[in-house]
Amino acid sequence: MNTETKEKLSPFHTTILVHMIQTGVMALILPQLLAETFGTNGWITVLGFGLIATINILLIGAVYKLGKGRSIFQILEQSIPKFMLVPVYLALAIVWSMLGCMAGKEYILIFQMYAFPTTDPMEFKFIMDLLVFWLLTKGLYNITKASTVFFGLFVWMFLLLFFFYTDFSWSRLTPFLFKGGHFTYLESMDIYSSLLGYEVVLLMFAYTNKKTKFVKSVLIGNGMTTLTYSYLSIVTFGVFSLEQLKNKAFPVLEMLAYIRFPFMERMENLLYGFVLFTVLFSILMYEWCALEVLKQIFPKLKANFLAFIVMLTCFLIAYIPKTLNEVGDWLSTLSMIESGIAFGLPILLLVVLMFQKMGRSPAHE
Amino acid sequence: MTFSKALRNMIVKESASQTNQDDQSPPEQDSKPPTLAHTLEEFVDCSDITHRTFPDHQIDLVYFDQLTDKDKLSRHILSPLLSGSDEDVAKMVKHLQPFKTTSSKTLILDVLSGGIAVFHGPDAYVFDVYSPEARAISQSETETVITGPHDAFTEQINTSLAMIRARLKSSHLKVIKLSVGEVSKTDVYLLYIKDIVNMKFVEEAKKRIQQIEVDAILDTNMLIQYMDDNKYSIFPQYLTSERPDAIVSKLVAGRVAGIVDGSPSVLSLPTSFFEFFSSSDDYYQRWILGSAIRLLRFIAFVITISFTALYVSVTTFHYEMIPENLLMTLTESRSRVPFPPLYEALLMEVTIELLREAGARLPTKIGQTIGIVGGIVIGQAAVQAGLTSNILIIAVASSAIASFVIPSYVMSASIRLIRFGLIMLAGFLGNLGLVFGIAAIVIHLSGLTSMGTSYLNPVAPFKPKDWKDIFIRAPFTALRERPSQSSSPNVMRNKTKE
Amino acid sequence: MNRLPISLLAILMLVVLPGCDYRILERIGFTYAASYDAAPQNQVEITVSIPRAEPTIKVKRELHSAIGQSSKDARIKFANETDLLLVNGQIRVLLYSEALARKDLSNEINSILRDTSISPLVKITLVNGNAKELLSKNYKQHLSTDKYINRLLEKSSSNHRIPRTTLYEFERDYYDDGIDPIAPILKEAGEDIAVDGIALFQDYKYIAKISNRDALLFSILRGKFKKGDMSLVLSRGEDGSSSEYIMFTSVLSNRKVHVERRAGGTIHVTINANFKGSVHEYIGNKKLSVDAQRHEVESKVSEIMTESANRLVKQLQLHKVDSLGIGIHVRNSMSYEAWKKLNWREEYQKVEIECKLHFKAKDYGKIR
Repeated sequence: MNTETKEKLSPFHTTILVHMIQTGVMALILPQLLAETFGTNGWITVLGFGLIATINILLIGAVYKLGKGRSIFQILEQSIPKFMLVPVYLALAIVWSMLGCMAGKEYILIFQMYAFPTTDPMEFKFIMDLLVFWLLTKGLYNITKASTVFFGLFVWMFLLLFFFYTDFSWSRLTPFLFKGGHFTYLESMDIYSSLLGYEVVLLMFAYTNKKTKFVKSVLIGNGMTTLTYSYLSIVTFGVFSLEQLKNKAFPVLEMLAYIRFPFMERMENLLYGFVLFTVLFSILMYEWCALEVLKQIFPKLKANFLAFIVMLTCFLIAYIPKTLNEVGDWLSTLSMIESGIAFGLPILLLVVLMFQKMGRSPAHE
Repeated sequence: MTFSKALRNMIVKESASQTNQDDQSPPEQDSKPPTLAHTLEEFVDCSDITHRTFPDHQIDLVYFDQLTDKDKLSRHILSPLLSGSDEDVAKMVKHLQPFKTTSSKTLILDVLSGGIAVFHGPDAYVFDVYSPEARAISQSETETVITGPHDAFTEQINTSLAMIRARLKSSHLKVIKLSVGEVSKTDVYLLYIKDIVNMKFVEEAKKRIQQIEVDAILDTNMLIQYMDDNKYSIFPQYLTSERPDAIVSKLVAGRVAGIVDGSPSVLSLPTSFFEFFSSSDDYYQRWILGSAIRLLRFIAFVITISFTALYVSVTTFHYEMIPENLLMTLTESRSRVPFPPLYEALLMEVTIELLREAGARLPTKIGQTIGIVGGIVIGQAAVQAGLTSNILIIAVASSAIASFVIPSYVMSASIRLIRFGLIMLAGFLGNLGLVFGIAAIVIHLSGLTSMGTSYLNPVAPFKPKDWKDIFIRAPFTALRERPSQSSSPNVMRNKTKE
Repeated sequence: MNRLPISLLAILMLVVLPGCDYRILERIGFTYAASYDAAPQNQVEITVSIPRAEPTIKVKRELHSAIGQSSKDARIKFANETDLLLVNGQIRVLLYSEALARKDLSNEINSILRDTSISPLVKITLVNGNAKELLSKNYKQHLSTDKYINRLLEKSSSNHRIPRTTLYEFERDYYDDGIDPIAPILKEAGEDIAVDGIALFQDYKYIAKISNRDALLFSILRGKFKKGDMSLVLSRGEDGSSSEYIMFTSVLSNRKVHVERRAGGTIHVTINANFKGSVHEYIGNKKLSVDAQRHEVESKVSEIMTESANRLVKQLQLHKVDSLGIGIHVRNSMSYEAWKKLNWREEYQKVEIECKLHFKAKDYGKIR
């Protein structure tokens, strides 16, 4: 495990990792949410949400620059006594680990609509958690390596969107902007949550150096996600009519079902499996964050043991919500909190850093 | 008590990490002067030892008859001794330039490796007339090529070294001689090209070989398992080849090679997963052909891994995926099979493996018969008897064929074994199981290292520059740099002007 | 270090936890085609055709039918009659009787849409007459009836005798407010099944039919396509001897819809369709190799086609079915609020629609 401290993240891997964390189950639901919330041409808002995420990343970048690459724990613990931080850490750990856990459960429940309807979802969840745990014990550097390979196994699926060129029609997009939707803050938060995942980089400061070009690579990763999401959404909007889209629970899966090769049909059965590769990283990195925080609380315990505890808790918590709707509700609540953290934590850190600067400069004079 | 201790070890970090001191005590200095009596005592009960006395000259010879060159022995040593005077003996000694040995231990070692010990009064000399029986250079059985050199390494370490030296006329080709095995004392040569190789690999390899404490090392593929970074992995972490041209190409790419005495395969390090998919004749073909074949191998890899598993998964769980035209054929062929697809597939896969193993063990002529008999039995009878569906036969056969496309035998064997795991996963959990399996393989691979470098080079770490020599074989004008994995201090390899 | 126990545990769990949702190929009965007929008391009669592929038995397919409140209700009934596990994942064709479609298909379509195992590429077809009879009958000179229907529909839609109507398209057009869905109609014709025309829907309700004769014209007006053949009588001679007749194939067509608002608030729509074809047959006294004469033929074809197109559109307007998707273009030409205020279904009848078709002969065969 000591290779982890030696090897720093490279820009490319950081970009890919951020992209992989961001892309997740939400991509399957995203077009429906967009149609529901914004109506016609709702796909344009993805770019707007991407911009918000960009601002958030710049905020994180400011922390990185001002903190001179110190990890956020070092920054916090310099100014705030540890006993005050422990509850905060604990809360963060709980939110993050639950978020990962619910994303996993949702993925599995959706899969069960298509196959294995009567198998206990927790069997799948168990294997999935096993994989996550395995990756978790390998350390961040190996995680990024794995993410690159998984990215390769996943990214070709975007080529499948070319299948829809015959059924895609611009006139179906309509010239109207955001008409016929029903805007609610809650739903738009849900849409934003599909871009969440970049905030994980807050905890990666310690694994970077100058060569990482940290902020730039994270921004590129976020840009990639934004573009692929908009591309996906624009195709969906052009293939389905608006009201139809609003009525689809998983429009992207429906599109995959449409793909047919001479040797294989109903590709959603297989391709939905490939979505696992990116979902795995969304789960993994939230659990990783929880683990990083827990490491701060319990410096004496071994990382692998902590990882085991995290995954075990997750697995047990995943027993509570049983239906897809329940999981969805948990997920939206959690992602709302997570959006708060994504903005709140960097701001808190910036404030702390300001104080540190003010405190230090007179002392130096 | 030990359990709770182990549990504690798993949970709590060790307070002060104990540095593992290498107990490399200096080799025992056996400064005992070599005497005839002591030597003979060492070799007592070795009935193959030869001891000849020439009382005229007060000379005693001790040697192993079967290790020495009879011609040299009689011409340069025995005939002067038998016929000549003392002067002749002195001349002979001068002529052959023997080593004067002062340590009894080295003397015994030298005799064991084919020397002739000459005791002359208090002095002891050793003449090296080592010449064991050796196989002639022949073609490689496991790595045949159509174009390109056909010679392969032999079990004789010096022949192998000579084959490399003959191809690399450079004083920069350095050789480190090491010895492994407490009983076998097998010679191992580490080869590298100075200024091209990164010395950290040489040092590391040397260190790892020196650390091996075992009675005997019999083959390169055995040695590399003692040097592995990840001992539990199914994948080979060093490339071995029987082809001198392949090893030379690895050397000039900045890698380190290792020859083990008694083994026709030579190792090269560090290596990556993708390196196992390239064969040296990719470079002897036109580049487009070479690229196409290389891509074909990666496709073969995908087929091997997933074809049968997909069959099992589709016929067990995901009937929707079968296209209309195939549906009836598939159902019809499945309808007579009494087992679920998983068992059907495992049965066939095991049979194919049995055939392969039987074919490998038997002499070539009988091996062919096995192939024909097995082919007919499996292909025709199993289907007619209703034990398997004919579509499964196609799946199993094509994935078996695909697995043999991978040039490295060790790698292809590993991949074939992994396939069984994937088939089982697919049989239990369908496509999701298949994907879980692929994910597990990738996770495992991404944790692997070869000599401390990533096993997934050049995909992760991401080095797109190297891709043109890994996934395709770009024209030589494009292959200008050495692979980044060998982190060579001398990067440019091709300075030809276009 | 503790990797070995973990992997052992993983393997163990895999053996212990196999999924129990086996759908082993030979033990499932995949419905290939299903038909829906109206039954008394608002019930539906459902018939499914399940192909069997047992080499030992001669039966090629199983047929089951039951009457129930909904399709799933009926399904439960005939599930009792078969030894196979009934699944829907391989349904290719859904046949609805005209009588049922005249009532409303929304319940049937919605229950199909909800089922995740049904492909969006299922073909939706109406049957002129009794759908059950059409599906149950064995047609001697053809494949198994379900496959026969499927291939017939596939072939016909590939050369635009009928439009391609998969579940996906049907549903999409239903939800789109500027276009109405359509579906082909089949009918029994003695020892064969024949395409009877195109059914025009208002939402999920069958309203009117386009006869076979106008099918290609309808396709030309509906949008871009690449393949099809058509024959026209250009003029009828007085004594029947000097009549002019033309037949052309591989029609390439594209259409442009132009919407403008005329003074007085009427909406004027022009449909410009250009189509090219190779002349395969021409009976008449003009020489096609002469440019002027060929142009004469071309303009004659255009004229006749335009005329019948206008007639067809009038017919559509009369039935208040916007199957050509003119609404999409009207919608896209105005503001959202104006479109919402417009009751398109009513307004549609008042719209002035003008079709302009232009024919061009790409080539005219081996004869000059």
